[in-house]
Amino acid sequence: MEKKRATEERRKFLKVTLGAFLSGALTSSCDLSRLKNPKTMVKSPIGPNILRPPGAVPEEHFAQKCIRCGRCGEVCPYHCIKYFDVKDGGVFSGTPYVNVMEKPCYLCMKCVYVCPTGSLVPCAKEDVRMGVAVINRQICVTWQQDKTGLMCKTCFSVCPFSGVAIKIDHDFRPYIVEEYCTGCGICAYSCIADTWYENNGKKAITIMPIKWKKIKEIKLEDIKKS
Amino acid sequence: MGIGRRDFLKKSAALTAASLVGINLNIKKDGVTLGESASAGENLMRIPEEVKNSPAYKQEGGYTWVRGVCRFCGTGCKVWLGFKDGKPAVIRGERNSAINFGFLCMKGMLFYKLFRHPDRLTQPLYRKSKKEPFRPISWEKAYEIIADEMIKAIKKGEWTPYGWSGIAYYGSGQALTEETYLFQKLFRCIGTNNVEGNPRLCMASAVGGYLTSFGTDEPAGGYADFDKAQTIFIIGSNTAECHPILYRRIMHNKLKNPGGYMVINVDPRISPTSKIADIHMQFKPGTDLALLNALAHVIVNEGLYDKEFVSKYCAFHIYTKGRDKNPLLGHQVSFEEYKRFLSKYTPEYAAQICGGNITPEMIRKVARRFATTRTVSIWTMGLNQRTRGVWVNNLVTNLHLLTGNICKDGADALSLTGQPNACGGVREGGGLCHILPGHRIVKSKEDRESLEKIWGVPKGTIPPKPGYHTVKMFSAISYTEQDRKRFPGLKPIHFIWIEETSPLQSLPNVRRFREGFARDDVFVVVNEIFPTRTTEFANLILPTPFHFEKTGVYGCTERRSQLTPVAVKAPGSCRPELQIIVEFAQVLAKKLKRERDPRLRARAHTVYQCVAPFIEAAKKDPWWELAKAVWTEYAQHVTKGRDSTLAGATYEVLLERPDGVQWPAPTVEIARKGGTLRRFVVGKDPLATEFVKKHHLEGWEVVDYGHLHCLPTLPPESRYRFWIWLRPYKGPAEPPDAEYPFVLSTGRVIDMWHTASMTGRILELASDYPYAWVEINPKDAQRLGIQPGDLVLIETRRGKNIIPARISTDEGPMEGMVFVYWYDQEKHRMINFCTLDAFDPGSKQPEFKICACRIKKYAPAQPLKQYLVKLVKVKGGYLHNAELDPNER
Ligand code: SF4
Ligand code: SF4
Ligand code: SF4
Ligand code: SF4
Repeated sequence: MEKKRATEERRKFLKVTLGAFLSGALTSSCDLSRLKNPKTMVKSPIGPNILRPPGAVPEEHFAQKCIRCGRCGEVCPYHCIKYFDVKDGGVFSGTPYVNVMEKPCYLCMKCVYVCPTGSLVPCAKEDVRMGVAVINRQICVTWQQDKTGLMCKTCFSVCPFSGVAIKIDHDFRPYIVEEYCTGCGICAYSCIADTWYENNGKKAITIMPIKWKKIKEIKLEDIKKS
Repeated sequence: MGIGRRDFLKKSAALTAASLVGINLNIKKDGVTLGESASAGENLMRIPEEVKNSPAYKQEGGYTWVRGVCRFCGTGCKVWLGFKDGKPAVIRGERNSAINFGFLCMKGMLFYKLFRHPDRLTQPLYRKSKKEPFRPISWEKAYEIIADEMIKAIKKGEWTPYGWSGIAYYGSGQALTEETYLFQKLFRCIGTNNVEGNPRLCMASAVGGYLTSFGTDEPAGGYADFDKAQTIFIIGSNTAECHPILYRRIMHNKLKNPGGYMVINVDPRISPTSKIADIHMQFKPGTDLALLNALAHVIVNEGLYDKEFVSKYCAFHIYTKGRDKNPLLGHQVSFEEYKRFLSKYTPEYAAQICGGNITPEMIRKVARRFATTRTVSIWTMGLNQRTRGVWVNNLVTNLHLLTGNICKDGADALSLTGQPNACGGVREGGGLCHILPGHRIVKSKEDRESLEKIWGVPKGTIPPKPGYHTVKMFSAISYTEQDRKRFPGLKPIHFIWIEETSPLQSLPNVRRFREGFARDDVFVVVNEIFPTRTTEFANLILPTPFHFEKTGVYGCTERRSQLTPVAVKAPGSCRPELQIIVEFAQVLAKKLKRERDPRLRARAHTVYQCVAPFIEAAKKDPWWELAKAVWTEYAQHVTKGRDSTLAGATYEVLLERPDGVQWPAPTVEIARKGGTLRRFVVGKDPLATEFVKKHHLEGWEVVDYGHLHCLPTLPPESRYRFWIWLRPYKGPAEPPDAEYPFVLSTGRVIDMWHTASMTGRILELASDYPYAWVEINPKDAQRLGIQPGDLVLIETRRGKNIIPARISTDEGPMEGMVFVYWYDQEKHRMINFCTLDAFDPGSKQPEFKICACRIKKYAPAQPLKQYLVKLVKVKGGYLHNAELDPNER
C-alpha cells in the first residue's frame, strides 16, 4: 500500500520535473519552429553509452541552450563529464557528455547546480533520466547460465537503485525497470560479461539515450497546471 | 568510485601484452612489479602425469582442462581450470558435482586472473629490523635465519606445560589440509602448542557447539538436505552473498515447491538473503539466545516435540560453574528440569527482549513450522562471532533434537563454514591450540600418545596443555600493560610464523596488535602470495604458490574433502609450503643438535623425525609427490580409526570423484561412492553400524558415537546420546549505551573475499567494490542528516573509521544498528580498528558482530580510491607503500 503511494507520488514528481525541462525549453530563446524538423540539425553525437549529464534538457535544445562554459565538467568530482570536439559534429562541439563506459555518472548532482543556463536542470537523483539501461540477454552470463553456469549479479549490486531500477529474478537474472532506471550507467560500466571467454570482450548492458518522443508524451496541460 | 574501470582494463590489457612479450612495463607508479612475466610462447602448465591419466583432466573445445576446487568460500564448488596456448584462460564449474552442479559465482570464475599478477611475491624478502627496507635473499639463507631466530626466541621464553612459550604458529582456513597438518606437526615436534589459525575467528563456536551437542565436531548431514527439506531456517547468515551457490539451490527448491517450501530468515539486518524469505525475523543484535529458547518453549509447551526421538536418543545437560569440572560435559538433568528452565522464555518475554519486528505470534508460528516440517537450519558468523557463540550454536541444535529434525533426509543443523578449508584443514587437521589432527584433543593423554606413536616420536613430545588461543596469542605479542592484566601470567611471544592469512587486518581491535608487531623484539615470518596488511610488519616474507600452483586438499562445510592438483607453474622462486617445512626442519634439526640445553638438543631428533618420511618426496617432486606423501600419512594413518576417517580417500579416488569424498570414509569402496552422506544413522554411516554392533545397542537406529558422549564416566542415560543443553539468555559484551548508542556489526560482500588481497586485485571485481561502506538505516540517517555517499565518522571505544554511507530502504540494518564491510585495506576504512576483542569463554572466538559505536556525518560525498598494500622500490630494497605513508601507519 505504502509502496503504491510512493510510486504515485514519484510519478507525479516525475511529470513535474520533466515539465520543468519542457517549460525551460519552451521559454528559452531558441527557435522552436526549427525543432519540429530535427532533420535540419546535424546528427547529434549522443547515442548508446554516450549521454548528456543529468538533468539535461532534451537533446534537440541542448546545443542551443548550452553556452560551453565548462563548469559542469569542472565541478564533477568523478571527472565523468567530457566535451565534444569539433569533429564530433560542429554544432555540438564544446557541449558536455558522459561516456558511461569510461566513467559512469555517480549521481552526485553537483553539475546541475552550477549550470548557468538551465541546460542542466536541477532534479532529484531518482528523477535523472540520462538514458535507460538495456540488457543483452545473449551476452549476459547470468541469462546464459545454462551455458556458463555463472551467477553474476554485479549490475544489481552496484546500481544505486538496486531492487527498484534493476531487479533480479529467482535465477539472479537481471532485468531493468525502465520506469525507474536513471541511465547513470554504473551497471553498464561494471558489467563483467566481457570477462567470459566466449564473449569476445563484449558487455551485456548498453545505456540507450531516451528519445524526444518519450518526453513529448507528457501533456502540455500537466505542465500548465504545475 | 575512484578507479576507472576502463583505465583498469587498459592497464591490464597493456600488462597482458607486456607479459606476453616479456617487457617490464612500469605502469604502476605506486608499486613495483615483482611478478615474473611469461613470454609469448611459454607454457605455464605443470600437470603431473598421474593427473593427466585421470578423469580430472580433459581436452575440450581447444582448451586443456584440469579439475580442482574453488579457491574462495566454504561452499567448495568444483571447478575446471582451462588453459589456452599453455596459459590459464578460464574457469568453469563442474556439472557432475553434487555441490555446485556447474554453477559458480564471479569470484570463483575470475581467480585465474591472479596466476601471473604483477603484484605476486616471487622471492624471499628479508629485513633484520622492521625499520629497514626488505632485501631479496636466497631460500637457504632464509631457512638459516628462521632457524636462528626461532632458537633465539625459544631461549628468550621458557618451557611451560604448553611447550616453549616464545614461539607461535598462526595458520589459516585457506591453507591446504596437508600444509596445516604438517605445520602443526612441526610445531608440536619443536615442542609448543602455540598453534592457532584464523578459524578461531570464524568457526570456533561451531566447533564448540557440535562438540557439546554431538560429542564430536561437524554436522550430521549436508547440502543435499536442502532438496528434501520443507523449511529452511537461516539465522545469522547472509547466504545470498556469502554462499551464493547454496542460496541458489535453496531458491530453486522454493520455486519448485510453491507453497511447500518456506524460508525463514533471522537477522537484525535485511540482507539480500531476505529477498527469498517468507518470514523475516528482525531482532535486536545479541538477543538470539532468548529468541531460540522461546522457540523451544513453544515446541515443548505445545507438545510439538518428537517424544520418541527425545526419549530414545537425547539427554539434557547443563553446565554450572563451580559444580562441574568440565564445561564440555556439565551434568545431566531431567526433561522436567529443562521444562522448568524454559518456562521463563515465553514468547511474550522473548518478544519483549528481542524487539525489532518480533511478536509472540511470530515466534509461535515459526516454532510450529519448525516442529511440524522437515527443517534445515543454516548459520555462520552471525551466531559464531558472539561472546556466547557456543551457547547459541547449542540452542539451534536443540531445536533439531527436540523435533527430531536431524539424521533424516531434509533435516539437519548445518553450520556453514566461511573459509574453504576451515573444516578440512584446521578443524580436522589439528590447526588450533587445543586440538590435534583426526579430532584428537591436546588434553587427552591417550590422543597425544596415539599420535606420537604414528609419528614415531618419543612419548611426551607433544606438550600436555593447550597453547594460547588467537586473542591471547596476539596479546602475547603486543604485550601491553592492559594485555598482561587481562591474561595474568601471560608470557611474551618473540617469534611467529604466519601462513596465508592477514591477521593484522582481520583481528578485532587490531590497533594494539599492529603496534606490537611493529616492535623489533618479535620476529615475524609470513608466507604470502601478495603484500598485505600483515606483510607490512614482517621480517621475512616467503613467497608461496597460489591455488592450482601446488597440490592439496580442501575440506568444505559438509565434511567433504576435494583435491586440487598442481596445474600451473608458480612464478619466480616460489616454493610450496610443504617443501619449505621439510627443508627448513632439516636446517633446524642441525642447529638444534648443536645447542647446549639438553631439552633443545633432544628436539633435534623429533624435528627431524617429523619430516623424515617426506624428505625423499620433497627432493623428487615437491609439487605433487610431496603433497601426496603428506596426505597419505594424514589420511591413512592419522585419521584412520577416528570418526573423521579419510583412510579410503586416496589421491587416486579424489581425482576420480567429481565432488570429493565425505568422511567417514574408512575404506576405498566407501570413498569411491562419495563417503558418508548422513552421520550417526545405523545402516547409512559405517561407523554407526559398527558401533551399535560393538556395544550391543539393539534397536538403535541412530547413535551418537561422538567420543565425548561415550566416556565411561558418564551416566548411562547420557551415553551414546545427543545432548540438549540448557543455556540461559545473555546479552552481548558491549551493548549500546547513551555515549555509544549504535550497534556496529561487520560482514562480507559477495565479490570481495576477506581482506581483499586477492579479489581486490581482480580488476573486474575491484572496480565494482573499490572500497567499503557503512550501511545505515534510513530513519537513523535522516535523524543524523546523513545523505547517501556522505563520509561518516564511526567511533567506538577503541578506534574510528571514516567511511562512505549507503542508505537503502530496501536492504540494510535495523534502526540503531550500522553494518560495515571489512575487506577494505585503507586504514581509515579498516573496521577492525573499531571492533571488539571480547571473546566467547568456551570457544575463544571474538565478538565481531556486536559492539557499541556512535556515528556522525563527517564530510559530504567525495570520490574515493581503492587502496591496496603494495611493495615499492626504495633505496636499498623494497618497502610497503603503507610504510612510507604516514597516513597509513
Ligand atoms: S551528477 Fe555528479 S557524477 Fe554525475 S555528471 Fe554530474 S557531477 Fe558528474
Ligand atoms: S539500472 Fe543501471 S543505468 Fe539504471 S539506474 Fe541502475 S545502474 Fe544506473
Ligand atoms: S553485470 Fe553483466 S553479466 Fe553480470 S548479471 Fe549484470 S548484465 Fe549480466
Ligand atoms: S560460491 Fe564459493 S566456492 Fe562457489 S564459486 Fe563462489 S566463492 Fe567459489
